[in-house]
Amino acid sequence: MLASHIPLASSGNFLVKPGIGLMIWTLLVFGITLVLLARLAFPRITEALDKRQKAIEDSIDSAERTREEADKILAEYRERLQEARGQADEIVQSARQMGETHEREAKEQAKELASDAAQRAQRDIEAATQRALQELRREVADLTIAATEKVTRKTLDSADQKRLVEEALSELDFSGVSGSSQN
Amino acid sequence: MSAATIAGGSRQPRFSTKQKLLAILGIYVLGIVVIGVLAGGGSRNASYEPQNEFKLENWVPIHLAGVDFSITKAVMYLLIAATLTCVSMIYIARRMRQRPNRVQTAVEMIFNLLRENIVAGNMDKKMAARWFPFIATLFLFILFSNLIGYIPLPTNIEHKISVFGLQIPSFSLYAATANLSIPLVLALVVFIAYTTEGIRAKGPLGYLKGLIPAGVSGGMAVPIFILEILSNLMRLLSLSIRLFANVLAGHLLILFMSGALAVLLGVAALGWFTLPLGIALFAFEVTLVAALQAFIFATLTAIYLAGAVADHH
Repeated sequence: MLASHIPLASSGNFLVKPGIGLMIWTLLVFGITLVLLARLAFPRITEALDKRQKAIEDSIDSAERTREEADKILAEYRERLQEARGQADEIVQSARQMGETHEREAKEQAKELASDAAQRAQRDIEAATQRALQELRREVADLTIAATEKVTRKTLDSADQKRLVEEALSELDFSGVSGSSQN
Repeated sequence: MSAATIAGGSRQPRFSTKQKLLAILGIYVLGIVVIGVLAGGGSRNASYEPQNEFKLENWVPIHLAGVDFSITKAVMYLLIAATLTCVSMIYIARRMRQRPNRVQTAVEMIFNLLRENIVAGNMDKKMAARWFPFIATLFLFILFSNLIGYIPLPTNIEHKISVFGLQIPSFSLYAATANLSIPLVLALVVFIAYTTEGIRAKGPLGYLKGLIPAGVSGGMAVPIFILEILSNLMRLLSLSIRLFANVLAGHLLILFMSGALAVLLGVAALGWFTLPLGIALFAFEVTLVAALQAFIFATLTAIYLAGAVADHH
């Protein structure tokens, strides 16, 4: 119904009939456009895009590198911390050992000193006891001689008297006087 | 509390979207009825021929060596498209920034689509570098040609309108790509390009031999070779007619829906009735068909070029 009023087929064939002149125009215009774009537009755009691409890649690379570095530093730091902790432990350990050794030595020394002092005191006491015994013997001998002279009215020869008295005295037991020094 | 204060206090819009849509529909239907009653069914217009919208008048007659080089509407559209393509692309190329604005981003997206998907996706790196400018120019040139075809320009000298006594041509839609000559030349260039590339890669005999698909030998090779030659020539037609017919059909549909049908049949109400369809078709053509056809043309060019140098197709 519409087709009869739209005479496309009868007078519309110019639509599909190629015109040589127009075709050459097209070729010319397209050619010039191609040359202009290829010379002036595309290289710049390509360059700009490639540059940005490169910039993005570079910054990704550098970010990665920075991260790796940071990781490395962190690992190193951790290692050092570990080391420091170990060292500190060692120091504490050795200090404790040293302290214990000192304590032990000090105790031993003190003990030694104490026993030395005790021995010295013992020796002093014994020496004093011996001295006292010696004196007592002499006193007793002198007294005995004096008493004998009074009884016999005769002066004993000094050397004889002394030998006799000392013989007698040595037979006497002074163990009761010397007391604890004997044991 | 009275109803008036509630109504006054609320800040809701006076009409909902549904009400607005219903109102628009009502005006639309009412318009058809009013125009139908007032104007009625006029007589059919026999003098108006819609195809003349696409007729080329010789504005500046130039004849060289028996060939008609006259400046016509088509030549003007070609020149506008080429100028716009060059100016916009060179302008954008000159002010490429490391941090792009929106226009640059859009151009970069198109550029990357061309570079990565159409060109690099079909051929190797060296060949892509050589053929990218050609394919990109084809895409942009066709895209701009298609797009300016949807801008009404004062090109219809058959019908003049008077503006303050000045007779200027009516505004009308036209597209360089709606004329067969132009896509045909572009297809021809593509044909020559891929044939040359194929011959350069394999030598004349090698290229012809390469047309026969792998695995075909003996008696079957001859008819298949002829078929392949024919299919190669058919590419010329399919490439050009696809673009031409799509753009022409789009323009005719917009034309008919936006009033030509009403003028032709002399029914004024029909124009009001079909106008929304015309607007919808216009939007469809501008947003989808214009870019899609340019994309298809460029992609097929890349595929043909890659196929010409491939070992077997």
